Amino acid sequence: MKTVLIALAAATALAGVAAAASGPKAAESWAAVPAAERPAASVPNLSGVWVMPSPVRALKAADGKDPPLLPAARAEYLKRQAALKANPKSDPVSNCWMQGVPRIVYAPYPVLIAQEKDRVDLVYETNHTFRIVSLRQPLPQAGPDLDPLWLGYSAGHWDGKTLVIDSVGFNDKTWLDYSGLPHGEKLKVQERYTLDGPDRIKGVVSITDPDTFSRPWSTAFTLVRKPGYELKESVCVRDHRM
Amino acid sequence: MRRSLVLALAAAGLATTVAAQGPTPQSPKAQSPPRAQTQPEARDSLGAGADRQLARRKSWEPTPPPSDPRDFTGIWEVPNPKIDLKNDDGKDPPFTPDEAKSTQRMIDAEKAGAVITDASTQCYPHGVPRLTFAPYPIRFVHAPGKILMLHEVAHNVRIIYLDKTAPPKDTPMSFLGYSVGHWNGDTLVVETTHLNNETRLDMHTSHGPRLKVTESWTKQKTPQGFTDLVDVITVDDPDHFTKSFSVTRKFAYRGDLEAETGAAGVTEYSCEENNRNVPDAAGVVTTEVRAAR
Repeated sequence: MKTVLIALAAATALAGVAAAASGPKAAESWAAVPAAERPAASVPNLSGVWVMPSPVRALKAADGKDPPLLPAARAEYLKRQAALKANPKSDPVSNCWMQGVPRIVYAPYPVLIAQEKDRVDLVYETNHTFRIVSLRQPLPQAGPDLDPLWLGYSAGHWDGKTLVIDSVGFNDKTWLDYSGLPHGEKLKVQERYTLDGPDRIKGVVSITDPDTFSRPWSTAFTLVRKPGYELKESVCVRDHRM
Repeated sequence: MRRSLVLALAAAGLATTVAAQGPTPQSPKAQSPPRAQTQPEARDSLGAGADRQLARRKSWEPTPPPSDPRDFTGIWEVPNPKIDLKNDDGKDPPFTPDEAKSTQRMIDAEKAGAVITDASTQCYPHGVPRLTFAPYPIRFVHAPGKILMLHEVAHNVRIIYLDKTAPPKDTPMSFLGYSVGHWNGDTLVVETTHLNNETRLDMHTSHGPRLKVTESWTKQKTPQGFTDLVDVITVDDPDHFTKSFSVTRKFAYRGDLEAETGAAGVTEYSCEENNRNVPDAAGVVTTEVRAAR
């Protein structure tokens, strides 16, 4: 009995080693991360560099339909599309302005996700932009007193095995996607990140904006791991002069 | 290119003002709690100044940082920022004769009212150690194989690779270079190379492609019981200095910022939104900068 147990334990340990060697943790060492700062062992391992396998240019709702734009927002959307056709630089990103959320999630550049005990940090390669998301602090109260920002204000929590990030307090200068999908300052975004195997994230973005859309709607995205990739220095400066 | 432009400006006497820190950030008006004063204060040896400093440290560090000497997690900010290459003794670094002349010309141009622009004033990454001198919060993050320095100022990001002993082959030159780090006892030693020469080391002094910056970061208790993160910055650039030299900066723990909601204490700073320090075709920086000051 004792022998069997030991053999089982050994087999389990070996299997564990094998799994670790082939899994994402093989390339990462948590050993140098102070024990007090590591995420709980039960938390899914999103740490590392991720990239979207197929770029998203125009968001569609999860059911494949067009986003439920209100008439005035639809008119603005069509206006932007015409402007884009005439001049691709009419995109605010061409001014090197921050992409906003969720658009930065779809940027065709890698993102480094760093997991801490109390925070998740998203470091986007594109124009070295980062978001620091507290898992402890509440979301600020949305409303006119909140100074609108490009990337908004965020707070995160774990819903079972899913990382949930809620964001509010956006300015209305960003586009929701590359096609010019508009939004207003009442925009609320929820991002959900769920591991689907060790090297794939199934994501959902939910968008609520009563001034722009007739109802809340959601869209899906996928991220895949880019093992060993190091973020490059990406710099966007309008009127490039150096 | 940039330097010659600025010098040309100085020579032409096209003076507006000094754009030392680049476009100002849009500061959120409704974050809680309101931030303590972050701008440099005049150093004075009077008791009132010391009291102010002490009161500020108390407000900055309501709770201590992690006790682990090798845990730098948290937000740190230099309380008495100086964007120069001097220690408290005020001595100049060991310039080569050419660099001494070049630095002096910049200082004279600034005194004469010329606009001193550099990479950072145009929303490019600041360079190293120029970035380290910036009077803004830095959040340190420990991650597997690396340490991140997330700088509030112009969303600069430095990644210190702990799982490498040297930059990979064919590493390109960049504004913030390539940084490898290791622990020497409780000191984090960071070596940065591959720094392009579009940046300055401070507001006035240039560097070349052979620049190597070695930072030694150590947590230290102050006599009052607060926690400093002390950075001894060693600059090695044989094309601009006759020998290597070191300057020391002390960063204070900003535990108070942990209470801020929305971005974990690092306020969004969109340099690009307010980029008014870009020279126009004639090399003149818009006078809006002066109007804003």
